[in-house]
Amino acid sequence: AALSRRYVLCEVVSEDPRCRQCIEDRAVGLAVRDAIGRVHGDYGLACCSISFTVKYLNAYTGTVLLRCRKDSYRLLCSALPFVRQLESRNQRYPCFLNTLHVGGTIRTCQKFLIQYNRRQLLMLLQNCTNEEERRCIQKSLLSCSLTEEQSQSGDEEDDDGTE
Amino acid sequence: RRELPDGGARPSVAQFKQLVVSALRELHGEVGAALPVDVLTYEEKTLSAILRVVSSGLVKLWSALTLLGFYQNRRCAFRVLQASPFLLALSGNSRELVL
Repeated sequence: AALSRRYVLCEVVSEDPRCRQCIEDRAVGLAVRDAIGRVHGDYGLACCSISFTVKYLNAYTGTVLLRCRKDSYRLLCSALPFVRQLESRNQRYPCFLNTLHVGGTIRTCQKFLIQYNRRQLLMLLQNCTNEEERRCIQKSLLSCSLTEEQSQSGDEEDDDGTE
Repeated sequence: RRELPDGGARPSVAQFKQLVVSALRELHGEVGAALPVDVLTYEEKTLSAILRVVSSGLVKLWSALTLLGFYQNRRCAFRVLQASPFLLALSGNSRELVL
């Protein structure tokens, strides 16, 4: 395809639990573009902003899917470690972005995210300290299934049992 | 060599280097400002200098200097007289060579 894009999947990690409410597409987009502007200057900012959007956000798990041009995805990926805080409604919270996966289509990123969430749920199950949390997670693990009609699987459950 | 036409106080060597690095920082960000650029010679009278940069950084340096327009709120411009991988080639302009 002549117009190829790259989709970068990352997760927002923060020590402050109030940071979750800050995770919205405008705030994350501004923070990423600000970081690109600092690290790569006017040229990098203009290069990456051509086709840049936040495609998908999940505030519960902190998952963010960004889209950019194939020619400039390296500039974007190298600037992601420089995102230090998220700002929204005049509140800032320190955080950092973990890059999980870079793919050429949304479908590959979705497949990776499903597997990743599955592994995360299993790890949470192992680290559970409370019997009740354990039962909760087991219930959600057993109830999630991939049906052929819908492309979404039940993995995006709110698994904040340890929060 | 670069020439910087100006009407007032001339920059010193350190200010010249600071000017080059800040031009790189504006256009290419922290990555550009970290590009190792050396000022080999600098003549304050004619405001010309010889800069040395890694060959992979030539495009960044040249574009940053081209787009630099202001020095201390005064308009200025950079003119590249010659670019060559060999220092000896800069000592004479081969176009004016009389055989």
